[in-house]
Amino acid sequence: MRIGVLWNKLADPKNVPRLFAFSLGVLLIIGLLVPIALNPDQIYVRPAPQEQVDEGLALAPYDRGGEPLKEAGVIDPQYPENAASLGMITGYMSPIAQWISSISPYFGTSIYSSPGGLIDEILYYTRGFDTILESSILMMSFIIASWLSINYTMNRKNDEKEIKKDFKKAINDSTQVANEVKANDAKARSKQLRRDN
Amino acid sequence: MDIVTLGGNLLGTIPLGDIVLYLTPFNLFLFAVLLGFTALIAFSKPETQIEAAKFNTLGVAEVKVDEKEFKQRRFLSVICGIASAGAMITGDLFNFTLFMALVGILNIGIVSAVKQTSVLNSAFNYGLIAMMCSLPLFGGAAIILAATGTLSLSVLSQMSASPMVVFGAILMLIGILGESGVAPFFASKAEMFRTPGSPFIVIIHLSSLFIIVRAVEILLLVLW
Repeated sequence: MRIGVLWNKLADPKNVPRLFAFSLGVLLIIGLLVPIALNPDQIYVRPAPQEQVDEGLALAPYDRGGEPLKEAGVIDPQYPENAASLGMITGYMSPIAQWISSISPYFGTSIYSSPGGLIDEILYYTRGFDTILESSILMMSFIIASWLSINYTMNRKNDEKEIKKDFKKAINDSTQVANEVKANDAKARSKQLRRDN
Repeated sequence: MDIVTLGGNLLGTIPLGDIVLYLTPFNLFLFAVLLGFTALIAFSKPETQIEAAKFNTLGVAEVKVDEKEFKQRRFLSVICGIASAGAMITGDLFNFTLFMALVGILNIGIVSAVKQTSVLNSAFNYGLIAMMCSLPLFGGAAIILAATGTLSLSVLSQMSASPMVVFGAILMLIGILGESGVAPFFASKAEMFRTPGSPFIVIIHLSSLFIIVRAVEILLLVLW
């Protein structure tokens, strides 16, 4: 194949996602060959998988220890000097959360461990800016989608044909309903008359 | 490679917990230019185009942006400008990928209401790429985090690159290439420009240009 033909194919927007997906797939397959070398010296340390589960801790795998406002839990940030009181509230649990953790061994992995339960200080303290950005991505996509649906999908000011058709249908429907009501009315009246006589 | 080698003297940092924005002349210049351009966009009016195919007919050949769409586009392009300006001075790998994802979604939003079907078609295809890009972008950042144990660029620049870091960087690179529409993935993004409303449309182009420049700096910091 001549290279010009290839370039022309690349200029078609339809082919671009396919090419991208293909090259990404090839790269990921190559990635399987890359030797995995994890650095043990991580920030935001977590205990080894299953370690806390085997110990029988109710908050597994999120138990970071610590006592609220007294003793800091184990969180290892990149810049400790920027987060002076880090870990001080990571052990806080609301009364409901405490009660659930006392009766269930699965508290740490459940949805109610988050609101009023285990406060994730990594999300809201050391990496708070990331959390703001994540939610603004979501907000922007909602703004775009809702604006489009309000002004284009739901806005029918401009398609008069469809409105006319719907008007006709509405008129037909309402006359039909009126006729039915009339018929029922007459039936009920005759019934009443018969009973009276 | 060191931050100082690439960007010039370190003028200061803005600490936001673990996310430390660092200011060098290079970063500040990109940041200021983008903010200036965003301000220009916020105060300008869109151009109108004449469709060449309708020159010989009596029909209306002007292609205009109506007011509602104009306001929406202006809003989205200002946010897009601010997001790409944020990507210029961020000092955190994951933060950078988040800014990129934001810019990608805003790029689609700016052209989402145009009337030309060809533009919408290419925006749809670009949207597919942007969705796929979240895997290599965030995956690349995650692999670099796993291999080095940190996301901060000033710490990463002091480390030597292991094969896993190189793979993570390549993964991030392909994400950046797709998201900012660089060859050979340019066609879908280039077609998105073929619509009236010039200053707003240009931010699509400008943001990807600036992000590529910044991405080169970040990849050099990580790899060298």
